[in-house]
Amino acid sequence: MARESFDKEIQFLRLLALTGDAYNRQQFAARLGISVHTYDKTLRYLKEMMNANQQGLSGEQGMELTEAIRYNHYESADPLLLFLYRAKSIKASESMRLSLLLSAMREQALTAMELMDRCSESMPADYPVPDEKTIRGDLKYLEEIGVIFRMDGKRPYRYRASTDLVDMLTDDELIDLYDYVDILANTQIPSVQGYLLRDTLKKALRLRGLEADITDSHVYKYHYHSRILDEAHLNTIYQAIEARRKLAFLYLSPKKEKRYAARNTNPLFERESEGIDLTVLPLKVIYDHQYGRWYLIAHGKQGVMKFRMEGLTGVELSDAVTEDEFGMRLAHAERQLQQSWVIDSMRPLTVKVRFFRPEGSAHDFVRERVESQGQWGTITEESETTFIYEIVVNGITEIKPWLRSFGSSCEVLAPPWLRKEFIAEWKEIQSYYEPVREDL
Amino acid sequence: MNPFEKIFNYQILSRMEETGAFALTSQERIWLKSMLELEAARHAFAPETLDKLNMLLQGEEPFHLQRIIVEKGRNKERHVYHPLLRQLRRFIIKEQGIRLTTALKHGGQKANQTGIPYKLEYSMVKREWYLLWYGTRQHSLMSTKLRNIVELHAWDLPMERAASAKARLLQLLEQRKRTALVEVIPQYNAELSRILSAFSCFDKKVSYEEASDTYRIHIQHLADESEFLLSKIRFLGLRVKVIDEGYMRRRMIEASTKALMRYEE
Repeated sequence: MARESFDKEIQFLRLLALTGDAYNRQQFAARLGISVHTYDKTLRYLKEMMNANQQGLSGEQGMELTEAIRYNHYESADPLLLFLYRAKSIKASESMRLSLLLSAMREQALTAMELMDRCSESMPADYPVPDEKTIRGDLKYLEEIGVIFRMDGKRPYRYRASTDLVDMLTDDELIDLYDYVDILANTQIPSVQGYLLRDTLKKALRLRGLEADITDSHVYKYHYHSRILDEAHLNTIYQAIEARRKLAFLYLSPKKEKRYAARNTNPLFERESEGIDLTVLPLKVIYDHQYGRWYLIAHGKQGVMKFRMEGLTGVELSDAVTEDEFGMRLAHAERQLQQSWVIDSMRPLTVKVRFFRPEGSAHDFVRERVESQGQWGTITEESETTFIYEIVVNGITEIKPWLRSFGSSCEVLAPPWLRKEFIAEWKEIQSYYEPVREDL
Repeated sequence: MNPFEKIFNYQILSRMEETGAFALTSQERIWLKSMLELEAARHAFAPETLDKLNMLLQGEEPFHLQRIIVEKGRNKERHVYHPLLRQLRRFIIKEQGIRLTTALKHGGQKANQTGIPYKLEYSMVKREWYLLWYGTRQHSLMSTKLRNIVELHAWDLPMERAASAKARLLQLLEQRKRTALVEVIPQYNAELSRILSAFSCFDKKVSYEEASDTYRIHIQHLADESEFLLSKIRFLGLRVKVIDEGYMRRRMIEASTKALMRYEE
């Protein structure tokens, strides 16, 4: 069975989150590799979801999507990109039925037949009354995902909503739990399930009349919102790794202009796709806190391969390998990445730099930052005003931006060619701002 | 653990809102179970509550997703949760005034400061919690690390004073807003995704001019965030350029000039 893919929505939301309203419709559609018609349709669907999500909240109706997604940590900690995970299509009658069933089972344990009666009583006239088979199918699904459980006892079985986690808590405890989930979802990875739970708890607080306690008193500064879009593939990758199976996908390098390619389902008209079809053995995923981005580390034809998670589309499980092969590939990748600043697996080299303590400040924030971000590098005291930092790292591409971010507080000592590169770069950066105009 | 379950569908969500029901899936509980294993949980709950939660989650399968994840470039974490959060969030909701004693950076303490708490802020960079508050003696907006709060008490002030203090606080916050305009050097447009990602932790708008294929990033930030923004701009090196006149630009000239002086022999 074809799995519903959210690749289009993921790319759409990412582009929207990154560029806001920079593009017009045609430009946006062209960059995604979709038609303007598809652009309009997707945007309409996302807006519909956004408005449904904001029901009963203070959100202004008809707020522009770009405005809603825009980062503003003093106003909202609600991650709007989460609605990607609320996009699975469902029939209106089914959503009606499932919510009826759940509210009935929240009050008491009921049998399938009793639930059927409840449904026929409460389903609006324009929806079909469900038959027994449908109800049993629903119960099976809800039990599988842990939303309800079957009570002990004889047939006919009774089912109840699994809401003890909320119901057994006092008001104060529920507030503490809400806060904890809010904090952990915002500061840890993976976070999608945490955000979903946060929404559920929010609802539970509202049902208890504790609306006033749902606050935006917690704010998170320097957050990478779009990281939750990449978590979409995490589950499939996890399954593949656990089962030692390969993954097949179409990789669209994020460096290309086009971010998504609609696949023609009729093979006769299949056009040459812009990406590369690959089958690789997944080993690990890496989250880079500097950019809020995810990478997949895998073994493929070229040995250890690295992919930006945002370039993966149409991800599917493929053949299994032996435990031995997996172990060998993983050990090899781990060795290669041992000294990677992020994912670089170039030849290791020693980088040595001098850091200058801030002038005229008693607080040495340079030292504090180097200690906090300098990974496995070592620090040696040099003088009152300087200290030396040394690290063996795979290639310099990834550590270079970090060193540069210290500006004039950092002087590269070795390797000599890196020192030269820094001088050349600073000269060029300086030239960006010339001629220097003096404000008199 | 498929996050795309149909039960999460937005229509079900709003329908359930009407019927007073909610769905709690095992994947949400499993996620919570793994998060309760963290040290932070001990500070966030009363011991009985934590026991109760662990008991309620007993039947859930443990979660191993973390096993496949490696985190890179992460700052050392000071804390995820701070014990004062529980009390402070309740003060904020009740709009309760506070009296606090804080530890000073270079030793010593400052006692009996009074004010109105505004927000609890976690910095993903510093990896610790701050209290943003309005100091009624200093008449200014304060940001205090929670770990520097030695003592905290409720403090009552007349309603009208609280209201005017709150108004003043919002006014001060507004006054501290700054903007910066950064241009992506077109020859680096292929790296646009990386560049925009780096700025995505700020409140930003992007504009695009098709004729010159040029992107500009309009960033809004608070005055005390300038340093962090500058470090991001330096991080990106030749890829971007500050184009509006003013503080940021002056600082970039200063950084490049001083950096070059370091290399003079």
